[in-house]
Amino acid sequence: MISRSPPTISFSRYLLANRNSKMWIIYILNGLYFAALIFLISLGLNIILGVMGILNLAHGSLYAIGAFMAAWTVIALGKGAPMFLIYPSLLSGVVIAALFGLFMEYLLIRPMYKRALEYQLLITFGALLLLEDVIKMIWGGEAYYASRPCDVLGTCHILGNPYPAYFLLVMIMALIAGLLIWVFMFKTKVGVMLRAISLDREMATALGLNVHKMGTFAFVLGSALAGLAGALVVPTTPALLGFGMEPLILAFIVVVIGGLGSLKGALAGSLIVGQTRSIGIVLFPEIELALLFLIAAVILVAKPQGLFGR
Amino acid sequence: MANKKIGRRQFIKTTGAAGIGAVGIFGSPFKVRRAAAAQKRSIPKDPIKLATVGFLTGAAAAPFGIPGNNAYRMLADRINKEGGISGRKIKLTSYDEAGGVDAQVKLCRKLILGEKVDVILGYISSADCKAVLPLSDELGGLIMAYDCGTHVLMEGDKSPYKVPKYTLGFRTKAHLGIDNIGLAFMIRKYLPDIKAIAGINPDYAWGRDSWLIFETAMKKLMPHVKVVGTWWPPLFTTDFTAHISALMGAKPDIVHSALWGGDSVTFTKQAMGMGFFEKSRMAFSRGEPYPQEVGRDYPEEQLICCAGTHYFLYPPHDKWPLNKWFVEEYHKRYGKYPTYPCYHAYQAMYTYKNAVEKAGTLVGGWPTIEEISKAAVGLSIQTPSGHLMIREDHNGIEDVLLGFSKRVPEFPFPILDPKRMEVFPAHVVNAPVGIRTVDWINSWKV
Amino acid sequence: MGLKNVITRPKFIIYSLLILALLFLPRILSTFNLILFEYGLTFAIAVLGFNLLLGYTGLLSFGHGAFFAAGAYGVAMIAKYFPGLYAMEILIPGALLLSLIVSAIFGFLCVRHTKIFFAILALALSMLVYALVFKFYHITGGSDGLYVKVPHMFGMTFEGTRRPQFLSGIYYYFLLGVFVGSFIIMKGIVSSPFGKALQAIRDNELRAELIGIRVRRYRLYAFIISGMFTGLGGALWSFINGHVTPDVSHWVFSGEIVYMTLLGGFAILEGPIIGAMIFTFLKLYAMGSTEYWMFIIGLTLIILVLLLPTGIAGGFKKLADRITG
Repeated sequence: MISRSPPTISFSRYLLANRNSKMWIIYILNGLYFAALIFLISLGLNIILGVMGILNLAHGSLYAIGAFMAAWTVIALGKGAPMFLIYPSLLSGVVIAALFGLFMEYLLIRPMYKRALEYQLLITFGALLLLEDVIKMIWGGEAYYASRPCDVLGTCHILGNPYPAYFLLVMIMALIAGLLIWVFMFKTKVGVMLRAISLDREMATALGLNVHKMGTFAFVLGSALAGLAGALVVPTTPALLGFGMEPLILAFIVVVIGGLGSLKGALAGSLIVGQTRSIGIVLFPEIELALLFLIAAVILVAKPQGLFGR
Repeated sequence: MANKKIGRRQFIKTTGAAGIGAVGIFGSPFKVRRAAAAQKRSIPKDPIKLATVGFLTGAAAAPFGIPGNNAYRMLADRINKEGGISGRKIKLTSYDEAGGVDAQVKLCRKLILGEKVDVILGYISSADCKAVLPLSDELGGLIMAYDCGTHVLMEGDKSPYKVPKYTLGFRTKAHLGIDNIGLAFMIRKYLPDIKAIAGINPDYAWGRDSWLIFETAMKKLMPHVKVVGTWWPPLFTTDFTAHISALMGAKPDIVHSALWGGDSVTFTKQAMGMGFFEKSRMAFSRGEPYPQEVGRDYPEEQLICCAGTHYFLYPPHDKWPLNKWFVEEYHKRYGKYPTYPCYHAYQAMYTYKNAVEKAGTLVGGWPTIEEISKAAVGLSIQTPSGHLMIREDHNGIEDVLLGFSKRVPEFPFPILDPKRMEVFPAHVVNAPVGIRTVDWINSWKV
Repeated sequence: MGLKNVITRPKFIIYSLLILALLFLPRILSTFNLILFEYGLTFAIAVLGFNLLLGYTGLLSFGHGAFFAAGAYGVAMIAKYFPGLYAMEILIPGALLLSLIVSAIFGFLCVRHTKIFFAILALALSMLVYALVFKFYHITGGSDGLYVKVPHMFGMTFEGTRRPQFLSGIYYYFLLGVFVGSFIIMKGIVSSPFGKALQAIRDNELRAELIGIRVRRYRLYAFIISGMFTGLGGALWSFINGHVTPDVSHWVFSGEIVYMTLLGGFAILEGPIIGAMIFTFLKLYAMGSTEYWMFIIGLTLIILVLLLPTGIAGGFKKLADRITG
């Protein structure tokens, strides 16, 4: 009778094995890196959800489009291109995702304003299926590796542990994006209008805000954030068909945990999801994704609006 | 096609029987002529509908599905140029193994019942094989699984078990037993001082079964070695960083992995960035294609298994002209060296061809799929890697080649260090017919 | 409504003729197409249940795949762990029981909410089921799935019969019978006072509450009945597919269930049935003609939502109304 390998490493044994190596900092960094990407995606999802009341089921597709475009651009520039061209070229992913978002909003979402929620969900579901194949039509079925932006930065050492410097760059970019959004939402006129609409749509309309135009803007902004996440991830991971699905589910979990439409919730939810996954993989290797759903389900039962929801 | 033939034979048989009855009274000449007519069978003029199924999109496509498909096309062209199989040309259609197990079940049903193909050569994923091979008997179609490795495909629940499990289903290669038993032997020989091992394997049949066999063999051969942890990322995971860190934290000397395709490439690249290879060594049960995929940066000293003896440099070209032809032709057509999916494609294609020819000679015409299956059992064919034999359990058996990666100036990627390459013969790494691999390992006297 | 009234109505006569015609289908269609038709019937049963919740109670669940999975895995688990009990008489009630339990749990958690919360919660719970089934490899087979062999039925065994023969023979008539039975039961439910109450809740929740309907409780009942029908569909499906994988609990599959309902039209009882049949053939046709079949399915859905929101049955009804004035 073969004994199966232990499903968990006992915490004390883990601590004992690691008392000198300080790997815990890497686990936390892994969690932060994952959280950074999920934060960008769920932030975008929440902006759209908050301002327009629409749950964009095709949000993951925009992430994938951002990734493919960024990868394609980096590959197209060639192996010899200088780095000051390569890094900005990743932003092509942001632009294309925003453009797709604009088209989507105009063609699909706008006719749905007056309709029931069910139709909105369905039409974004249709968009999800459609965009999967649109990606295939444009970029084909192969895997797109564009690792130069990651490779050139090399490895740095954190408390004696090697860690890819690019991951730190991603976290910084996510932080900057988050700060910019925060400043925008709370300090600029347009941002205040967006928040007003998300808090009380009817009142905002009554006060004369152009809700439709703001909605379009929010949709494009949300899509751009998804595209940014895709563009940032692609130097570490190949762009593949169907890889927008998992981030979408994770973004859902974040939205559920953090609260529908809440930006603070997106931050909190992403941190929880990222760290849980990272620590979970170390301590409970068998569970992985199921653990996250469990947390989401618990929050949904205990506090259905999420941590910061209304 | 086959049904129509049987119908005709039935008809001939019944009229023949009636004729015999009548003729029994009138004399024998009619009887002889009827019997002779029942024996003669024509070879159809239309081409053989041969369907191949493999990953044509997704992460597994570039290192796996596409090379396999390339090899199929190359071989079909060669066979057609030489006149086809028993005079019939091959019409090859390729299908994508994408969409998951359920989509593959439906595709297989469509190919056998709808398109009525003559044979399906395909399936890379063990999960797909497990689901699809029962369909061979259920639907009455000939399926030759060419690349999947799970050992439970043909094994029963207890030892000894009845063979074969399927009448019309085959696996034209050895199963993962050879890879993982081979790894254990290799570690015992070259790395006897290790203390701790771990595993990172994809969370499905292939990964679970690979680890099971490896762990069983290691427990038998090196019982003092401890397992410090196992990880199970889902197939087609794109972010292994958390797993890599967790592995590094557990401090194993060797990490077993059956990761393949895009997973293996992504894992290796991410691990390189995190300093994994400074601390531990990987033992890849299917590592052969990836040095070429990753390139010059692929780390040295990694233990690599070739899923058989499939390696573009083995057997040496001066000693084995078939390998020389295969490698050169493939490189000429596709610009890369063939990897083990390509060799497996050869095995599937030529098992089918030889079985058809053998059965055809016996029946004097084009054989039915039942006749082809019967002829395939016991077949021993020469391949670019050596020999393949198909046993009565419808599994193939092969020798296994393992080595350590090493950078050399002649190639733009690391190759297997020629000084430490080992070939373990088939009878050492394949369980006997009817005995489960796990039980067989446990019965070893070491 | 007296029995005589029912029997002489034109709809009843048409349906009876239709069912009579369907009895002859195995002789007309090829085995392959007959199997497709059977897939359509199992989905029809599943979406009939789903529509009780959507069309009649006004709740959109994006997680009904979990109940389909409950039915399918119910069958597969019995096959794996209780092979001695592997007979249709036990399998169907077993699957219904498992779907009852799962939908009761889900329903209890979900019916406190409406609209988007409801949809997201249902989605999240079904994905939890998906993740659990995926990860508990040694019990459920994980992503490999589980094999479902031909079961014993009412004392008959089918050793040596190939599945296509089983499916084009006795199983077809059994499935047809279950389908007709499900339809009659569902018709009874929606015409009953309970059904009327559900529609009242759908139309105006507050008013329904005020006239004394216990909204949350009725929603829960509707949820459970809906889940059981879908689970029944899943169980029947598993014999045709021969294999169950966690995919059926994934939210994309749940999305297809919603799609089928919308395609046929959710305002009419027969709508989802039409949608299920058309979708089954549409998907197969698309997959067979092009590698970009998701594009076609997605585009069709979008056009449907934009132009024909009441679905095909709804469109016909409008047409019929216009013709008859």
